[in-house]
Amino acid sequence: MLSRRRSLGLLLGSGSSLVLGGCALDGWSGTVGAATQPLNERVEALLQRRGTVPEFDRRQVQPEALLINSFNGTPRIEPASYRLAVAGAVQRPLRLDLAALAALPQRECVIRHVCVEGWAAIVAWSGPRLADVLALAGPSPLAGYLAIRSADQYFETWDLASALHPQTLLATHMNGAPLAAGNGAPVRLASPIKLGYKQSKWVTGLELMSRLGERRGTWEDQGYEWFAGL
Amino acid sequence: MSVPSAVSAPGPLRRNPLWTRAFHAFNLLVLLVMAASGLQIYNANPVFGGREGATVPALFTLGGWLAGARDWHFGFMGLYAANLGLWTCLLLQRRHRRLAAAGDLGTLRASGNAPKRRLAAHRITYTLMLIVLAFSLISGLAMYKPAQFWWLVSLFAFAEPAGHPSWQVLRVCHFATIPAIALLLAVHVGLSWRIGGLRLLRAMVF
Repeated sequence: MLSRRRSLGLLLGSGSSLVLGGCALDGWSGTVGAATQPLNERVEALLQRRGTVPEFDRRQVQPEALLINSFNGTPRIEPASYRLAVAGAVQRPLRLDLAALAALPQRECVIRHVCVEGWAAIVAWSGPRLADVLALAGPSPLAGYLAIRSADQYFETWDLASALHPQTLLATHMNGAPLAAGNGAPVRLASPIKLGYKQSKWVTGLELMSRLGERRGTWEDQGYEWFAGL
Repeated sequence: MSVPSAVSAPGPLRRNPLWTRAFHAFNLLVLLVMAASGLQIYNANPVFGGREGATVPALFTLGGWLAGARDWHFGFMGLYAANLGLWTCLLLQRRHRRLAAAGDLGTLRASGNAPKRRLAAHRITYTLMLIVLAFSLISGLAMYKPAQFWWLVSLFAFAEPAGHPSWQVLRVCHFATIPAIALLLAVHVGLSWRIGGLRLLRAMVF
């Protein structure tokens, strides 16, 4: 009986040291990610080709559930002097003011905004489609990626297919009211097919690119997944 | 003496086939990775209490920070799913007598034969473990791709009339697979020990 007890103790002991070993394994996270993310991202992109995402009813929005994240404070942008630069692999580089964005067809999307941290909130975003804004500039057929610059120096890059998705908006309004400063006023990205950290706030520049550069994104360069599809 | 007969029975040790031992060991290893990295993800925004909620001690977590934990969690989810799926298929095809049957509940209720009752209880525990593991995969998939698998998320909308949004219910359910599997694991280890002792352990592990 004693030897059995001892073996059981040994088994439990080795089990808990596996848990303890977790600390030593933390350094391997990046290696595991590098080995598995390319395949995961491919599968994610394949899944995403299935058209529009079903939307929620306006009555389902959860204003209190939408938390505010910012990596570098809250920039205050004067609406009258605001310009959105559209540049890069385009036929006509543009600088659009808010009136030009408001003149485009407006679309409202009631979608679930999902944060990488785990929380989510149903939000009604409205504004022009990102695809319509990019079409004004005449994208080059070579363009495959979009870089997004923000007033707070936040940087993002998207695959063009996700940027052109019919529910990806350059939102100027949230839940029926103009965007608040904390939520990205006057213009932010909103999309049901990407995690929250892809949805830049205080957007001031769009640049079409034929390939990804060194910088992939503020958080991506720290180790977060680039595709980040939902 | 109440030593189970399997322990005192003489004769050479009959080991489980290699595939059973391999799936079993790999499942345990991957489960530990998924649970520990899942608890690290939990800490980014605790399911209970949000940003003010209590976090899990670093001892039980894997990844170091949110992005590292996601590397592990999504790096191993495919292996976890493939291992569990293949194993369940092989069990159903070749070892379905290890899985619970309707008679096991009757045995538990009516039989006075203690070893028989333990065997029935163990088969139910074992089958429940497979069900909980499969549920962790389904609820995890719903949270990983809520836009593509919106219909999976909507399965968790049952408590919305009571004021619990489907997303929160989904998070609670996915998290609940950890205590559920820990409990079943304890019962599984305890019952295996009672039924087969060190001999069963050796047949399964070494």
